[in-house]
Amino acid sequence: MEVEDWASSTGGTSDSEISVQDSNDGEHCHISGDIPKLQYRSIKSKARWNDELGLAEIVEKKGRMWTTTGIVRGGNIYCSLEETLFLAQEGALQLSDDDNLCLTLEEIYKMVGQRKYGGCWESFQVYRHMKSLGYIVGRHDLPWTIKRVKSDPNSLEGIPEANLMKNRGQEDANSMIELLNSLRINNLRPVFDVYPPNSKFKKSSPGNPSYVLCLLSDHPPSNPEIEDLERHCNGVPLKFCHVDHGRVSYFSFDKVELHILP
Amino acid sequence: MGPRWKRKGAEAKALADPMSKIVSDLRTSLMLSNSQGILSGRSVLLGADAAQTELLSRACFGQPIITAEKDIQWFELSMEEGFYLCYSLRCIKIVGEDKRVKDEQQVWKYMTSKWVAFPVFFKAYSHLRMKNWVVRSGSQYGVDFVAYRHHPSLVHSEYAVLVLSKESGDANGRLRVWSDFHCTLRLCGSVAKTLLAINIDSAGKGVTSPSCLDSYEVEERTVTRWTPEECRENQIVVENRTK
Repeated sequence: MEVEDWASSTGGTSDSEISVQDSNDGEHCHISGDIPKLQYRSIKSKARWNDELGLAEIVEKKGRMWTTTGIVRGGNIYCSLEETLFLAQEGALQLSDDDNLCLTLEEIYKMVGQRKYGGCWESFQVYRHMKSLGYIVGRHDLPWTIKRVKSDPNSLEGIPEANLMKNRGQEDANSMIELLNSLRINNLRPVFDVYPPNSKFKKSSPGNPSYVLCLLSDHPPSNPEIEDLERHCNGVPLKFCHVDHGRVSYFSFDKVELHILP
Repeated sequence: MGPRWKRKGAEAKALADPMSKIVSDLRTSLMLSNSQGILSGRSVLLGADAAQTELLSRACFGQPIITAEKDIQWFELSMEEGFYLCYSLRCIKIVGEDKRVKDEQQVWKYMTSKWVAFPVFFKAYSHLRMKNWVVRSGSQYGVDFVAYRHHPSLVHSEYAVLVLSKESGDANGRLRVWSDFHCTLRLCGSVAKTLLAINIDSAGKGVTSPSCLDSYEVEERTVTRWTPEECRENQIVVENRTK
């Protein structure tokens, strides 16, 4: 091969830029008349916020989303703050406080801002995006159900709802509080277990999640951080989320080994 | 993203002409002629006869220097390329500014003094070269290297490589802030390359001699964007098929 030929085909200069039509391109600027509104729903589920647990207890279930939303404890469904807010934003859930006063969307936004209940605005954005795509999303390491042995003295059969929390032997409630409080905001933590859209999803046997989503804030993850998380998640693929100006980006950092070429 | 061959027959041509053989022939030729590279700044200058010129071009080492000299073609090699030929392939000797041949240790000392990050960059370079990838400068794409499956005239580079080092908290300070992260990823996407982060762990072995390199650990990770929209569609399709 002549030097001249080779020089003109030096790697790089002949690589043309491929113009990729960026679907997210352009600013997210709306003209006020164009901003869509979700359709008002007349059939709403009802829930009561339990501040001690940091969860909403579903008091009246309407609609088919309950097979894939909320955790089951003692025959009742409890929703995390992001699940609650998602449904409230959709107009599908009416939330009230301990005194049965209706909580407005504004009040729920403020609850998110308080960061008391294991979530934050950014994690809500991730939740909302994935849910709107049809995925099934649960908080990482928070079981959908807890199986109970029938002969268990703490069994819930026949126990009136009002005493549910106390008679649970506190361990369930405590473990939930612990889990929620332990989701401290630091740069990198696993937040959600994600399952593909599935009409046959069962909370009693969800199987392994397809992905664990980790939320990033300050800076992209370092290699040690990624390795720690991989160890923690035991083989479930990790996706890393970054929320910025209302936009959620997802990244993979897959370990590879380039082939040995002939 | 798989390999993008540049024209019909390119892949076949590459298969018929394995890089390992080209490099091996180059090595033999340089050894037989007792070739010497000249250290100059951050480059190694190497004179080549006609056969070596062809081999250096086919194996993609260095940049040709255009001169009027007829019998010798001069090439300018980067520090990684020069050290690879000298230390990894042991087929050239290197002469210093004092016109005396330097041993490996002296060359190493010279190179590490010119460039603090040389050890990790060289480790990444040699790691890929030893797997028979063609490794060239990535500065046109704002990365450290680009890696080709074969000669750049046959195939586009698949990987845009960044060298990251655990010890010095990421030797070149890349991918530490979001703007750099997004920028790099977008650029790689627009030129159809996968971003490859090569993480080097020098495991506290230091940089006193090139033999330290043997203990360095190398981990390859691709950095890619994930689109849950597309992924979900694939999964629904799979589900429908199994019904």
